[in-house]
Amino acid sequence: MTRPVLLMFAILLLIAAGLGFYAYHLKVKVASDEQRLAQQSQVVVPPASGPTTLVTLYVASDQDGGLRRSQVNVPFPQERSERARAVLRSLLTTYLQPDSQHPIGAGSDVRDVFLLGSDTAVVDTNLAFADSHPSGVLAEELTIASMVTTLNANDPQITRVKILVDGKERDTLAGHADLRRFYLASGIGQTLKDMP
Amino acid sequence: MRLSRLRAVTIAATLTAIALLGGAAHVLRHSTVQAQTSPSSQLSVYSPQTFYTIPLLNLNGQPYVGLVELLEPLGNVDARPEGKKYKLKFTPPGAHELEFQFQDGKDNGKVKGDKIKLPAMFAIQSGRGYVPLSSVSELLSRALSTQIRLSPTARRLFIGNVGERLTLDLRKGTPSKLFVSFDSAVNPTIATEPGHIRFTFRREPVIATVERENYTDPLITGASFSEHDGVAELDVMGTAPLMANFADGGKTIIVTATPPPPPPPPVAEVPVPQTNVVPPVAAPPKAPAGPRFLVLIDPAHGGTEIGSAISPTLPEKDVVLALARKVQHELANRGISAGLLRNSDIAITLDQRAISGNAARPAIYLALHAANSGKGVHVFTALLPVEAVTSRDFLPWETAQTAYLDLSGSVAGSVTAELEARKLPNATLAAPLRPMNNIAAPAIAIEIASPSGDVNDIASPAYLDQVAQSIAAGIAAVRRNIPEVRP
Repeated sequence: MTRPVLLMFAILLLIAAGLGFYAYHLKVKVASDEQRLAQQSQVVVPPASGPTTLVTLYVASDQDGGLRRSQVNVPFPQERSERARAVLRSLLTTYLQPDSQHPIGAGSDVRDVFLLGSDTAVVDTNLAFADSHPSGVLAEELTIASMVTTLNANDPQITRVKILVDGKERDTLAGHADLRRFYLASGIGQTLKDMP
Repeated sequence: MRLSRLRAVTIAATLTAIALLGGAAHVLRHSTVQAQTSPSSQLSVYSPQTFYTIPLLNLNGQPYVGLVELLEPLGNVDARPEGKKYKLKFTPPGAHELEFQFQDGKDNGKVKGDKIKLPAMFAIQSGRGYVPLSSVSELLSRALSTQIRLSPTARRLFIGNVGERLTLDLRKGTPSKLFVSFDSAVNPTIATEPGHIRFTFRREPVIATVERENYTDPLITGASFSEHDGVAELDVMGTAPLMANFADGGKTIIVTATPPPPPPPPVAEVPVPQTNVVPPVAAPPKAPAGPRFLVLIDPAHGGTEIGSAISPTLPEKDVVLALARKVQHELANRGISAGLLRNSDIAITLDQRAISGNAARPAIYLALHAANSGKGVHVFTALLPVEAVTSRDFLPWETAQTAYLDLSGSVAGSVTAELEARKLPNATLAAPLRPMNNIAAPAIAIEIASPSGDVNDIASPAYLDQVAQSIAAGIAAVRRNIPEVRP
């Protein structure tokens, strides 16, 4: 093999190595961007303004298979549907903590809460909430039960709850729990809450 | 000289680029062929204990069978891929454990420590081990030490001495009748078209000694038997429309001419129509079927809908199918007949599950799930929606379960008591789980999680056996309180 041919091979190898390095660099950059975005979206913080109030959360535990009552201080808006949203976002924040007993997918959030009449709340969650929710009968039921029971505990007038995903009705949360129906606060959480 | 050197370099560079591109294309093509695995058809497996179907994968132009899917209905299976190596431990009922060893991309392996050469490469796809269909006969005969008959083109596999022999007997007369006889009762799908009546046997291991019979008869001119796509088919040909009647408890099918339609009634004076008078419709005579106690087991998910990922290589759909087969086996040991809503890796929608579940008219409907979080076994009854509409004429689809909730609770309580007796962590809850709401029968759902907190323990044969025994014992204990259902 002549010297120019060897040179050409070397150049081709260098180009291949250079492209490989560039591709690796891009991959690392994309991964770090995704991680940064995920971390940003994990921070679901209720609005910082307004006076804080002690609210009641019914927090799910996968190991115990039930809901545990706890109280936290959160900024509490004046408007009723905003208050409902703030309470639910506070609940989801506990599930997004690294030491959560009931972890849910990164970026899960409540987009809006709409009140129909005095007793019905329609909770619009984001896509990440359903798409990345752990799949399982109990895991999904615990999430729904904790949301419904928490809403009712902080606004006893809310007795019926419907959950939407990205503004639309969905068959199930993550393959199991039915999302096409309205949930009664007196139904779903009663056997799960106030566990010892 | 310089020009020719430049030309040589250019040619060398071009050739190198072509070689690089060619190599890349080859690698890409090879990997594409590997990745483009799609279900092409299914294999029907008949054994003395059970019947099941397995989806076949088309890998590089050859049909392949999943080892776990093939062996699981025949005994306990513990499969663990380790990189490119694949080890599977198989324990047939009442026999010792034996091991299969293969390697991805290699055509040699070991069964019970003895070397075996496969007709094509062993393949691992998504953590599952696949062997060529043509090797199944030898693999099973070594594992089970029994006679195996495989018809690769017909996609039918017979284990042991199974086989429902079909005999034909034409009795001439007016009209002539063809008696099709079997050793035991059969339940084929029947289709008719002008000059033909076809019987398709999907679950029965029907075999025939002759492929074709020709008759010199004015009505029935012949019959042909064929096997394809995992079914057997008998086609009876005639010169007039044919019909079939079952006799001898389903062991004999009598094919004869369809009787001519009755002559239309003579047209008389048209009476003045009377309102609110409905002529009675005579129901066709039908042999009454007795009530029976059937447990319908619904292993959740299937196909592309994998359910929960218990581990990166263990989807929920596989765990629940394995558990469903064990529950069916345990129920059979207690004299209770049970059917599986899916017995292979196929996708079924929730509405289809509800429709099939109600059509089967079970005494008890049992849905099975598995989760990668939590601990122990959770037994669920239906949590019905708010809007419970009552109607005297129709059973509301969303709340069809309402009338059966008490009985469902009894079944759940009985199963929980058996779990408790075996010291398995358990709880009973109501869950908003479809299609339980839509089932018009006592219905429960069971979700298993790891007994210890380590998700890898969820599929251990010992744990699944304990859960299956608890479920079967619970159902057997409550059986006398659950009414049998007429099919």
